[in-house]
Amino acid sequence: MPLLASLERTGFATWVREAPTIWAYATILFLHTVGLGFVVGANVAIDLRILGVARDMPLAPMRRLFPWMWAGFIVNALSGVALLIADATTKLGNPVFGVKMAFITLGVVNMAWSKRKLFDNPEELDRVPLSAHAKRVAIMSLILWIGATTAGRLMGYLGPVSGLESLN
Amino acid sequence: MGPTGFIETGGALQAYAAWVNTTWLHSFANYKWAWATMETLHFLGLGLMVGTIGVLDLRLMGFLKGLPVSSVQKLVPWGIGAFVLNTLTGVVFLAGAPYQYLYNLAFQMKVIFMLAAGVNVLIFYAGTWQRAQNIGAGQAAPWAARIAGAVSLFLWIGVMYWGRMLTFFRPPFVVPPK
Repeated sequence: MPLLASLERTGFATWVREAPTIWAYATILFLHTVGLGFVVGANVAIDLRILGVARDMPLAPMRRLFPWMWAGFIVNALSGVALLIADATTKLGNPVFGVKMAFITLGVVNMAWSKRKLFDNPEELDRVPLSAHAKRVAIMSLILWIGATTAGRLMGYLGPVSGLESLN
Repeated sequence: MGPTGFIETGGALQAYAAWVNTTWLHSFANYKWAWATMETLHFLGLGLMVGTIGVLDLRLMGFLKGLPVSSVQKLVPWGIGAFVLNTLTGVVFLAGAPYQYLYNLAFQMKVIFMLAAGVNVLIFYAGTWQRAQNIGAGQAAPWAARIAGAVSLFLWIGVMYWGRMLTFFRPPFVVPPK
């Protein structure tokens, strides 16, 4: 696809991929990992609590974890776009990338909508034991974030290998 | 970028790496999908550690103050489980490609950061924890606990940093020198 190839040749994409400095590709990849930690970590903390771990931890104040999730998500959206355009043809041509995006989209919808709605509903939040609905949201969250992380890892092993020399 | 680390014990490290390459774990690490599977588990463990140990760190630092410290502590066994998972999968990587790690500055720094995090957590539970565990909802943790939380978060993010830098500090030889 010529459009993707020209995207890879832009100054920014070339810098991300080829700049002989630790602050380009290496640092962006590091930021993508820390972002993963916060998105997945904050979601998993709430999921574990809903599913019965640390039962005496009050659930309502855990809503303060949402800004950490969003911060992690924004860092990863930005760093992800940079990593993507640096290797656009290969990554967009990899079906595993589509799978990863599907998991992330559903994961964010689940976190922003279902989980958020749960936290906006004190009646449901204070119920002991928690409703089956809350548990479904938590289990779905675990499945989606495990799926997103796994797909992200496997992109390096499945699908086409990048033809861009600096990425090999 | 720097091809080698600063810790070089000459023949001893070399002999160790050569021995590692003869072990069954070395064969396992390089068997079909083992590496990809271990890497996936390593990243899931990373997320779980942030979600447990990282959440306790944030609480001690003064974020998430609505959560009593002792209740957040109940997440920690899951964090220890994730740490064990990541240590085991990490050992598989080390056994699978010892020359890629042992002479790698990023790997050496990663180990040093993990050891520092271990010292920090021992100091914390040996003393500060006595006062920190009674900190209820809305209360700030004592300064020593806030610092322990910040140091822990810094060191573990540092561990992630050095982990990611491994590939970029990889020594020029990844096959055993003859």
